[in-house]
Amino acid sequence: MNLPEAPAAEQLSDLLARCALRDQRAFATLYQFSSAKLFAVAVRITRRRDWAEDVLQEAFVNIWNHAAGYNSAKSAPMTWMTAIVRNRALDWLRRPREIEIDEEHEELMASIPDESPGPEELLRRSLEAGELAECMKTLTEEQQRSVTLAFFYGLSHAELAEQMRKPVGTVKTWIRRGLDRLKGCLEGLGR
Amino acid sequence: MRFADETLRDKLAAEYVLGTMSARARRRFEFHLRSNPQLRRAVSKWELRLAPLADALPAIEPPARVWHEIKTRLQPGGQSKDGFWENLSFWRVSSFASGLLALALIVFVAMPRPQLPVEAGRMVVVMNDLATSKPAMTASWEPGQRGGRTLRIRVIGHAEMGPNTAWELWMLPGGDQKPVSLGLITTHETQVVKIPEVLAAKLDAAQGLAMSVEPAGGSPTGLPTGPVLYAGECIKT
Repeated sequence: MNLPEAPAAEQLSDLLARCALRDQRAFATLYQFSSAKLFAVAVRITRRRDWAEDVLQEAFVNIWNHAAGYNSAKSAPMTWMTAIVRNRALDWLRRPREIEIDEEHEELMASIPDESPGPEELLRRSLEAGELAECMKTLTEEQQRSVTLAFFYGLSHAELAEQMRKPVGTVKTWIRRGLDRLKGCLEGLGR
Repeated sequence: MRFADETLRDKLAAEYVLGTMSARARRRFEFHLRSNPQLRRAVSKWELRLAPLADALPAIEPPARVWHEIKTRLQPGGQSKDGFWENLSFWRVSSFASGLLALALIVFVAMPRPQLPVEAGRMVVVMNDLATSKPAMTASWEPGQRGGRTLRIRVIGHAEMGPNTAWELWMLPGGDQKPVSLGLITTHETQVVKIPEVLAAKLDAAQGLAMSVEPAGGSPTGLPTGPVLYAGECIKT
């Protein structure tokens, strides 16, 4: 499949509206336009290609089934679709597993520092411009790191604590205060 | 759990969007999310706030099998190879839906107008599948009893309805009047649609009927928005 140029939000909104009317060709185009970006989100959180494929599949079935619920006045189409992919990926990570949890968990933890680009790099890249960038700078280093680790890897409080080698309570507080500060700052900028 | 407290709502929404909740907490939160619009608003706001983070990820092309799997799963009835999705006649209907409805209206407008006053008479409608031009549905309308009358529908052959969609039946009054909804119908072979008295007289004088595919719950606009699959002209008997 050739990767088309990144489409405008307006075009994606239009495609979603047509999906709501059960237009399957619009759905195919939507997939073509957005799947690579969304697959990256799923790969990042699940950290396994085969799992990410399942997550992407699940997410697009959701997108098709709930397209009528998309409201372009409330969120940009990529924001809406990314949220669906993230939620499916988080459900996948948190799904009940009978065995291998420890082993898998070890692997998961071990894989994090080697991932490239790392969360700090991603944070830097995503924040080269924009309001979120300005506001992220108001967080302490620990707050920033815990928020971005959680966002990009879908780590729970317990996993974050392990990853950062700090007590769960400490990590929870970093996240809580980090998010508070972020919200306050963004609202101050009118968001 | 109660969510009367805005601070609590916001805190939980933030943790949900960030992804730090345990499986159990997520499930409970999602349960409340379904019935609580304030909670949904709080979640949307956090999604919006944190969205720029995801933009930084370099795109990764998924393998072709993912799309193949999605298509298979969304095919009504599941696994058939040359189904719905590859069916060209479907695309034709889908992309020219509004055109077809306009065409249907023009055809009915062009037909000789019935003599007035219209009697509450019998009529039948044979609705063709616009993609194949073959009869797909019939409707019969009997002179009726007081307090609303019924339209008997028969769906011919095997019909499939996609997930989260609805079939909506429309009366085409003719002239330059807009279609009027007669409500949602099912794919059952025989069914009865109750027509309220206010619409009964209009239906007596109608020029045709059409069926369109709409989002679950019916057209959000009160006019056909999806593809028109079947249409036919009213024949007074």
